[in-house]
Amino acid sequence: MQLYRLTLATMLQRKVWIIALLCALLLPIILPYLTPHESNPSLIEPARAQAAWICLWVVTIAWVFFQAARFGDDTARSGLGAYFLSAGVSRVSQMMQIWLACLTFLLPLVAITVALCLIGAMPSEASQAKMWVATNMQYAALFLLVIMPLVMLAAAVGSRFGSTIGYLVPLCLSVYGIYGVGYLAMMTTVQNNVLLDWLYVVSPHYHLADLTPRLVFRHGSMLGSEFLHLVAYFVGIKLVLSMISTLCFQAKPVT
Amino acid sequence: MKLTNNSPKVGLPGGLSIGYHERLAQVADEDGGIELGSGTHYLLARNGRGKTTLLRTLAGVLKPLDGDYSCEGRCQLLSEDLVFDHELPAKVIFKAMLKKTRCKEAMELARKLELDVCKPYGKLSTGNKRKVALLLAEFSVEEGSSDILLLDEPFTGLDAFAREVFQDLWRRREDGVLRLVSCHPDFDSMEMESSVLITDGKIIHLSGEQIPKQWGELKVQLN
Repeated sequence: MQLYRLTLATMLQRKVWIIALLCALLLPIILPYLTPHESNPSLIEPARAQAAWICLWVVTIAWVFFQAARFGDDTARSGLGAYFLSAGVSRVSQMMQIWLACLTFLLPLVAITVALCLIGAMPSEASQAKMWVATNMQYAALFLLVIMPLVMLAAAVGSRFGSTIGYLVPLCLSVYGIYGVGYLAMMTTVQNNVLLDWLYVVSPHYHLADLTPRLVFRHGSMLGSEFLHLVAYFVGIKLVLSMISTLCFQAKPVT
Repeated sequence: MKLTNNSPKVGLPGGLSIGYHERLAQVADEDGGIELGSGTHYLLARNGRGKTTLLRTLAGVLKPLDGDYSCEGRCQLLSEDLVFDHELPAKVIFKAMLKKTRCKEAMELARKLELDVCKPYGKLSTGNKRKVALLLAEFSVEEGSSDILLLDEPFTGLDAFAREVFQDLWRRREDGVLRLVSCHPDFDSMEMESSVLITDGKIIHLSGEQIPKQWGELKVQLN
């Protein structure tokens, strides 16, 4: 696990994690006070939950994806990938070690977000509180299922096509999956186009993993069966993306 | 050099040819192949004749164009273009990559070599960057694991003092490591007990009593 330790040490040394940590920790506390909370104090708690999860999405997409893409790129071009290959560390193992190092920074951010929601925005009523905990746990699980394969994809594409493309591919894919698919759905209802219908079907529906409205409007947690269906759907996407990443990752520049 | 039962071995049988798309060099069939054991072997050739290609092939990073080779041991390729993150100081690199006891030894040698282990890698001079890579390779060696170090121009940018420290280290250490070192020596009296030459598209091995031992005599054979 030398590459894992080296990647972890590099991320620590770059110190950008401090900004990511502060964003995840402080913005959900500060931003709710921008709402008209003086006239309606009940706005603070849902706004805090909303800010916490939005900050997590933004920090992950802006920072974690970029780090993964850069490490993929650096490993292939710095000679480190070739060094580890010669030492018997396969390219798949190298990709997994970079991926794990990025996740090591991501997981505490997820834990902080969930903790902020549970400590700073928990409903006082017992039944609602139970729902609140369940919704946050479901959200954390779905968030990780969406993000983890995209981090792997960033490292893999970065290693083959450079850090810029390695960053843009998962960024565009996640933004499209969260917002773009909604617009596509509207288009498919207006136009009767088979191609658009197919595109809608094969698109990654990441918006399904965004449970922020459930938290803000206190819709309660998802039913077990509904949640499991979503888990199965995202595990499927994860398998496809992991396969693409495994094929795409390279430990040395193309000669 | 102490030889253990599981001594590292590199075998280059006749017919092995290396290159990217075109053949750069080949082990001649009539020579019956080359076998290298533990110890230091210098890989000598003029520019562009295939030194790096041979090392990359032996490391398994590149496929041979023809024939096969064998590496019995744990390989490490220290390529000339190996660089670390520019913000990482050598101390952090060693801590991340080496075992605790070996890390301490590497730090001690770094002090002797006047390498500032707290300075970010990007701010080190070319020679000091090479020292980081060399120290890493030397102290990654595990006792009894039949290590093979493939060092691509490790002396580039190193001053004579640092080079002598490493050469002395290789002579002193009874670790049974096989070191294949590509280099362009800069003084004629440099001693080489065993050398692999790439000349006229052929890979040949010179060792034993009859062959020239000094760079000054060897370099006239290179084409």
